[in-house]
Amino acid sequence: MAKKNEKIEYVKNGKRVDGRKVDELRPIKMEVGVLPNADGSAYLEWGQNKVLVGVHGPKEALPKHKQNPYKGLVRFVYRMATFSVPDRKNPRPGRREVEISKVSGEALEKAIFLENFPNCAIDVYLEIFDSNAGSRAAGITAASLAIADAGIPMKDLVCAVGVGKAGGEIILDLNKTEEDAPDAVDIPIAIMPRTKEITLLQMDGLFTKAEWKKASKLAFEGCDQLKKMQEEALRKKFDTAEKKK
Amino acid sequence: MENILWNVKTDKVLSLIKEGKRADERKLDEYRSISITKNISENADGSAKVKLGDTEVYAGVKMMPGTPYPDNPDQGTISVGAELMPLASPEFEVGPPREKAIELARVVDRCIRESKTVDFKSLCVREGELVWIVFIDTYVSNYDGNAFDATSIAALAALNLVQIPKLEDDKIVKGEYTGKLKISKQPLLSTVAKIGGKLVSDPTLVEEKAMEARFSCGTVDDTIMCAFQKGEAGSFTVEEIDECIDRSFKNSKEIRKLV
Amino acid sequence: MEEKKDEVVVEHKKKIVVVPGELITDERKKLGQHVFIENGKVYSDTLGLSYPSSSVAYVVPLSGRYLPQRDDLIIGIVERLTMKGAMVNINSIYSCYLSADSVRDKLELGTIVSAKVDSVNETNEADLFDTRVFFGGEIISVTPSKVPRMVGKNGSMLSVLKEGTGCNLLVGRNGWVWAKDGDTAKLVKALRLIEKEAHFDNLTVKVEAFLKGKKVK
Repeated sequence: MAKKNEKIEYVKNGKRVDGRKVDELRPIKMEVGVLPNADGSAYLEWGQNKVLVGVHGPKEALPKHKQNPYKGLVRFVYRMATFSVPDRKNPRPGRREVEISKVSGEALEKAIFLENFPNCAIDVYLEIFDSNAGSRAAGITAASLAIADAGIPMKDLVCAVGVGKAGGEIILDLNKTEEDAPDAVDIPIAIMPRTKEITLLQMDGLFTKAEWKKASKLAFEGCDQLKKMQEEALRKKFDTAEKKK
Repeated sequence: MENILWNVKTDKVLSLIKEGKRADERKLDEYRSISITKNISENADGSAKVKLGDTEVYAGVKMMPGTPYPDNPDQGTISVGAELMPLASPEFEVGPPREKAIELARVVDRCIRESKTVDFKSLCVREGELVWIVFIDTYVSNYDGNAFDATSIAALAALNLVQIPKLEDDKIVKGEYTGKLKISKQPLLSTVAKIGGKLVSDPTLVEEKAMEARFSCGTVDDTIMCAFQKGEAGSFTVEEIDECIDRSFKNSKEIRKLV
Repeated sequence: MEEKKDEVVVEHKKKIVVVPGELITDERKKLGQHVFIENGKVYSDTLGLSYPSSSVAYVVPLSGRYLPQRDDLIIGIVERLTMKGAMVNINSIYSCYLSADSVRDKLELGTIVSAKVDSVNETNEADLFDTRVFFGGEIISVTPSKVPRMVGKNGSMLSVLKEGTGCNLLVGRNGWVWAKDGDTAKLVKALRLIEKEAHFDNLTVKVEAFLKGKKVK
């Protein structure tokens, strides 16, 4: 955490504390099909964040009274490993994890043809092994890959990214130092890039509408980059076999 | 299992909203009537009951001395709890809060915390040792939709009335107060539901059953926002979000006059 | 096993890997499986292979759970006995009911059967017919979406597999392969090879070479 009385210049000569430009993502690595026992899976590294996702289903939703005869359910479980934060995290899921699980699952629902699977559930299990701001965005981006890897019919991939403000500057993909700025605003946002629909949007911090306009534009540009990386990761699963040939 | 009755009722909601109408004859951007009863609990340090249409929420605040977080030794903090009482709806169950109640509590917490309306430094009694923790606990006692806004109004109304208890030997002296808690801003959530592709403010329960998506925006005054939360399975375009933001500024301005 | 029209494995056409939401064509084409239309354009709904020169817009998925379809030949295992029959696990979302009257042999827990899918309802539950009971043998699990390649055009791959391993063999569309006698270890290796390279051409030739002990380049 940044020291309270220490003045940090969050953007200096166009560069941020970690050397990135205002509209630059941290380095990202994606891989699909990493867990043989899951129907679909993905591993994602996003800066220091490390995320593993496994998808099971569609399968019959149990208990039966949770079933929806019109469409399948997405049951998203977001958890952080005890060692994934500076202090040891209590292994019991907290309120934050419950809320993130709820909104992340909802962020994926629109992208899936859930009407094909009445009374069924798609279980998405996600574990964060290391974190440094933006783990829910990393989680949704990875989960969308795992669902595609599971062969579950989708309208589009879902990309998520954080945008916000630090030291008065609107920036893309905040890291922990930037998230701890005194005037920090953090906006996780998930987008279906093809139709430009927003499926997750949260914010905390003080923000004007003009600033939001600027931030949302940055978010859409960031998600376009993410979508390309996702497509590449999915194709790569099959292209590697070709190279071996 | 989804109550099949809702499906019949939501069909009606959808057909009305398609024509720009609502069952209670409100306009799409109009709120239900709001009534606020102050000081509903003498034991609380500040309390209020809010009725938003038929949605009813009780809120009470307790100030408790506690130890500060090690990373913020000179700051107190707030804590927001929300309970969807089993008597508020047949769908709510007895037991620890489920994800719906947790989301509600966290979004109301976010709106108040991020608005910086309570100066956490002013809650410090002795740095590194003793600070005030402001517990804001809310109970939804009748659920007819839009618990987010009703709870946020109730929490703010209660917060505005909070008296700081007197401390002697680091213990609270019952019934004696040293003054009012300073509330510098009036943060409020304002929620819009997307139903049949249209934006509908302050949804009722049956409208919520019909909604594809929900968006709440917290505002502190006429220009500054402090929280967003999108919920449910559907999506918004960026233009729709902009429209929701404009409505939040407009509607919260009116509600702020009542609190 | 018969091939369905929209699942024909076309070995000579150019194919590309597509991802969910990717544009397949903006021309008017007949629609096959795993595509959807939005504003007059055709998109893929899954990670799979698309054939741009085909007159039908369709995608062959590269992964995914088995969902029963009419006339599929499947392998099942009895998992629960009921008063007048049994529930058969078919490696899908739901198990199927099998009446004891419909088979001559006694159904017991763990009995392996083959059957054809008669009808499927909108919740993906299936009715079976033409049930046969198997004695002995083993079950090999494979990726359901790769099964058509394990059968091949007019069963060409299946013949190659049978010949090369000496196994008595039945490939269920649901991703379960029943095998008895012969070199089943070799069969498993051959099936894994097909799974790994299902999206490449000349697979039959390659598998044939593998089974004959030749080096696959």
